[in-house]
Parts: sequence; C-alpha cells; structure tokens
Amino acid sequence: MSERSGFREKYGNLPLGKGLGLAGASYISGAGLPIYWNKMPHSGVQLKIDRGGGITVFCGSTDIGQGSDSILAYIVAEELGVTLNDIDIVTADTSLTPVDLGSYSSRVTLMTGNAAIEASRKLRKILLETAAAELMVPPESLEMRDNLVYCLDDEMRRIEFPDLVKIAEAKHGTLGAVGSYTPPRRGGRYKGAGVGPTPAYAYSACVAAVDVDVETGELRVEKIWLAHDVGRALNPLLVQGQIEGSVYMGLGEALMEEQVFRRGLHKIPSMLDYKSPTFLETPDIESIIIETNDPNGPYGAKEAGQGPLLPVMPAVANAVYDAVGVRIDEIPIHPEKIFKAMQQKSKGQAPRVGPNSIPNLEFPEPTRVESQWGHPAEDEARNGT
Amino acid sequence: MLRLPPFEYLAPRTVDEAVDMMTDNGWGAMLVAGGTDVYPGMKRRIFEPKKLVGLRQIEELKKFEVNGKLTLGAGLTLTRISTHPEIINRYPALATAAGLVSTPQLRNMGTIGGNLCVDTRCTYYNQTEPWRQALTYCMKKDGDTCWVAPGSLRCWAVNSSDTAPIMIALGASVRLVGPMGERSIPVQALYNNDGIEYITKAPNEILVDITIPDATGLRMTYKKLRRRGSFDFPIVGVAAAVRLAEDGTCTEANIVLGAVASYPLKATDAENILIGQKITDELIEEAAKIAFKPAKPLDNTDMGHPYRKQMVRVYLKRALQEVTGLS
Repeated sequence: MSERSGFREKYGNLPLGKGLGLAGASYISGAGLPIYWNKMPHSGVQLKIDRGGGITVFCGSTDIGQGSDSILAYIVAEELGVTLNDIDIVTADTSLTPVDLGSYSSRVTLMTGNAAIEASRKLRKILLETAAAELMVPPESLEMRDNLVYCLDDEMRRIEFPDLVKIAEAKHGTLGAVGSYTPPRRGGRYKGAGVGPTPAYAYSACVAAVDVDVETGELRVEKIWLAHDVGRALNPLLVQGQIEGSVYMGLGEALMEEQVFRRGLHKIPSMLDYKSPTFLETPDIESIIIETNDPNGPYGAKEAGQGPLLPVMPAVANAVYDAVGVRIDEIPIHPEKIFKAMQQKSKGQAPRVGPNSIPNLEFPEPTRVESQWGHPAEDEARNGT
Repeated sequence: MLRLPPFEYLAPRTVDEAVDMMTDNGWGAMLVAGGTDVYPGMKRRIFEPKKLVGLRQIEELKKFEVNGKLTLGAGLTLTRISTHPEIINRYPALATAAGLVSTPQLRNMGTIGGNLCVDTRCTYYNQTEPWRQALTYCMKKDGDTCWVAPGSLRCWAVNSSDTAPIMIALGASVRLVGPMGERSIPVQALYNNDGIEYITKAPNEILVDITIPDATGLRMTYKKLRRRGSFDFPIVGVAAAVRLAEDGTCTEANIVLGAVASYPLKATDAENILIGQKITDELIEEAAKIAFKPAKPLDNTDMGHPYRKQMVRVYLKRALQEVTGLS
C-alpha cells in the first residue's frame, strides 16, 4: 500500500492544501452467532442433478448485486468438474430453498460457499465411486473436470459427465445432496461474548489523497488506494467491484451523508435532498487484492463486502490533517467543519472540530474474563511493560 | 414513492392561446415548461394546480436571435444555453451559469425561462405534504408561520436561480405577454424580496423572451457554492461583469449575489467602490467585505448560514480576481 501510493515519501511533504492519509481496519466475515440464538446452521445448500447432467443449486441466500449467486455456481462447478453453463441457481425463495440467514455481516461467500462445498463433495463421492466401479480403477485415481471423469494414469479411461449421472442414478436412485455451515464456536461464556466472533477476520488498508481549499475548506478526494485481504478472490472482478463500492460508500460517510434533525423532523428526508456522492465526487480508485488463503474460508476466501469501506473515513480525516493541519473528529468531514477548524487554528485555538467529550454515562464495572492466555493487561501491568 | 395528483394538461400552440388558457382558468392553472421544478413540487403538494398549461409546443418560445444584442426564447433548454457557441463566445458566464444548474438530464428538460421563474426554496417548504403537516404548515403553503424565523411576518424562502444573477449583471430584460398586451422589464424588476410574492410576473403573463445587450468588452464570471459538483441548488451564487479601461480603471461593475435572499441581491455598495478606481487586490478585498455584509443567508438551505455568509466574501473575491485578471 505504502509502495503503490508513495505514502512514505509524500506524507508530510506535500504543499499546503494537499494531503495524504493512511488508515487500516478489520472486519468480520459473518457473525459467529445468528441474530436469534439457535443451534441450527447459518447456511444451507441443496443440489439436484438432472438426467442431462445439469445441476440445480438451491440456497436461501439473496444476491443484492454483490454476485453471491455466481459464487455458488463457481464452487459447485469447481467441485464437480462441470462448466458454469451446466449450473442453474435458485435462491432467495423460502418455499424452495434451504435457509440462509441473508446478505449482511459480509457472510455470504464464506457461509454459503462452505455449505456448497459440503453438498458438492457428498455428490462428488457418489459420482466418483460410481465411475471407479464402471472404469474398474480406484476412486483416488480419478479426476473430474471439463465435464469428464477420467483416470489420471490413463486419460482414455473416461466417462462424460452426463453419462456418469445416468449410470449413478440407475445405481443409486435420484441424485441430490445437502450441505450446511455453522461457524465454529468462539469466544468465552460471558455477556457480550457473542458480539465480534467470526470464522475469519478480513483486513484492509487505505490511503486517501485530498485537496483542501485553504480559504473555503472545500474538500476534494483526488485518489483512493485500497488494499484488502480477501483470503482468496474467487472472482477478482467481483472483489474489485466490492472494493470500489465500499470506497464509494465510505466516501459518502466520510464527506456528506448525515442525519440532520430540526424541530424533531429530518431536514433532508428524501433522496432528492439527502447528499451522497455523484460521479464527480468519486475519485480514481486503485484496488489492491491481497490473498492469504484463510483456513476457514471456501478455498481460503473471506469477505469483501463491507470491510474495505471502514478505513476510508479515517484515511480521509488523516489526509485533511496532512493537508491543512486540522483534525475533524467526526463524520461527515465537510467544508464548514474544516473552515471552522482552520479559523480556530489561525486564532491559536485548538485546531479541531468534533465532540469534545464522551457522553455523560455511568459505565458499569468491566467484566474480567479469563482467557487461555490469562489476563494479558494485568500481566503487563505487573511486569511494568 | 410520491405520485403526481390528477391534473389536466393543456397544450397551446401560441403565446396568445396560452395567455387565454391561463386567464380562463384563474388560480387553478399553472404554467409548465421543462417541468423540473413544477412536477416535483406537485408530488410534494406545494403546487396543486387543477390544470397545467404546457409551453413546450409554442414555437415562438424557441427563438434564438443574434443582432448586436441577443434574444433568447424562454423555452430554450439550459443545455442549449450552456453549449451554444454564440453564448460561450459572447456571454461565457451565462453559459457557465446555465451549465451549473442541476444535472445534465434536468438541463435537457429545464428551460432558461423556467430557471428565471423558479420558485423560491426553503428546507421547511420543499418537503412532502405529511412532513409539512407534521410540523404544521409554513406561511408559504397552507400555514402562517415562518419556521426559519418564527417571529417573522414575511417568508424567507431563497431565490435559487443560477441564471438570474448573471442575467441581471449583464443588464438583460425580459418580455412578458399578458391579457393587456406586452411589457419589457429589466430582469431585476422580475423579482421581489419576498419568499412568497417572489415574482412580479402575473400568473397569466408569459415570459416570452430575454434580451441581453451586447457585452463586448465586459469581463464576466459566475461562481457557485454547493455541496457537490452536480445536482445541488446554489447556496451562494456570485455573478460579476466589469469593464476596465485600457489603463485598468474600472468603468462599469455589476455584481449580483444569488441564493442569499429571496431575490437576486445586487451588491451596489461593492460596485460603487470599484467604479472609477484602478483595481488592486486591496480594493477587491474591500469590495468583497462590503458585499458580504448585506447578504443575510438564513438556516433554510443546505450547509449552515454563518458559513454561507463567509463564503460570499471568498466567492466574490475570487470572481473579481478572475474578471480583473488579478489573483
């Protein structure tokens, strides 16, 4: 990130009004616990193979534009060695599909993906055993790809996938399989322990380049670099789309989106007046996909849906500080606040705008929790580190 | 989703026919050209006409005459105004102002006449019917309180035209045709400093065309403050047109502020400071300081009014620097 953006060389060395800001963030790939506590799976996938070799995937997940339907197809096609043309997807219909908890918490690829792998592998086992018996070779010597099952030692020993399906159905009856996914149990057994656990954390870093008008406080974001550790990109184009969408959403939060109330009513309650960025406010975005192969993700994949938006706001705030030396401690960071902070600065007052205290609230005694490593904070205090 | 109420649409072919239709239908009728202001207002029930008299089919409103001066039919779209080579060359600030209105889609529909007649705006008024009812209605529509200034006897809704300030700075006039015949008035005289009675045009008068005098030698610009680079109404507008003699002495200065009052505000004191003087950075600073004092933005647009008032000074300074070549 630093290399691609030139952060180290440029930070603190740009002319007045120009600034760079860096920030990092992490996010969950789905919550470890469902919203309504129960012990059932978070995601279910059901597969049906028809006699022509076509496969239908049923799943309760809802594609809201992020491409989650296509993720199901990639995974089933990968496991069974067929092409995407052979896959039919039925999703988001509770009368037809097994339950998936939905498109939130950046959970869909990880959870439906794992459920789809489990269902596919059950079918794969049946199909490989059938093919092994038919070709008179051990199942371990077989590979499924390009709509074929073939022997790795002798590629002429092969069965086309639709033929294999017919043989398998004759032998085993109607072919189908289900798979499901429940996140591993994590965290302690105390109040609040259910918030935050996830099968896999994703990490992002962002550098924002801004231009601040030193007379008016008007702020323009010129470029965003965003690196996201997605574990593995099942479809890099979709991951890039998610990163760009996150940057756009993050800029909306950073620059202008705000709920303003006067006399008990929302000042700007319609999309005609509520401000979110237009094309003109959307800068160049350089997406950097980092792959780390997470052990809990399908083929190592983690989330990309919301994590990349989190470092955008602090990166913009830090860039404003680099540009004109003022701190805006709340979002949206809009021209009025920058203008006010610059005025304060020129008068020798604190060059920052935002809340100057925390809410007046009585906090209860913190809950001390024994972890497997003991009490790290207390140990440090004891050791004087 | 907000829906349009039922209405009847009349489509006159001539200006006289349109005047007759408006006269016959009295207060129950409204004129509509591009519809970019009228229809959203109808959806929010701030306009409740039974009949709309549409001006789109009247050829006379699409006139474009160059003859020393320039005469623009009121029905020309803002896209046409902002992209026409004749306007870009001779009245560049007008092209700029028209090109800064809203979005490309709305400029394709919206007309120059419509932008001059655009209703005054206020964040307590441009709201849905249920929103306005929840607060109890304001004096501009159905009620008697001004929510921006509750003790006030008048309405403080803001003139939000981008093209009016530059038209006034260029000395343009409008031709109105009504049942008693026609009259031509300077664009400034089209407006009242009142959020409700903001326009002096009678409901059954049609704004037919706008004539702008020859502007050879005038240095002009229009600057607009808004939150985003597109879509948003002005929350400060500054139009400036000045003439400098060869030795740099200012012989003519026209400065008009938009979106800080219920009408386009002519900054006469600032103009007077410039006229007859050689323009310097100090003089520009002084003019900007004098001009921003009478600007009285209130808390009824996007962004806070103290900031908007401060920005009048900066925007005016920049406008003057640009037209005088100092910066």
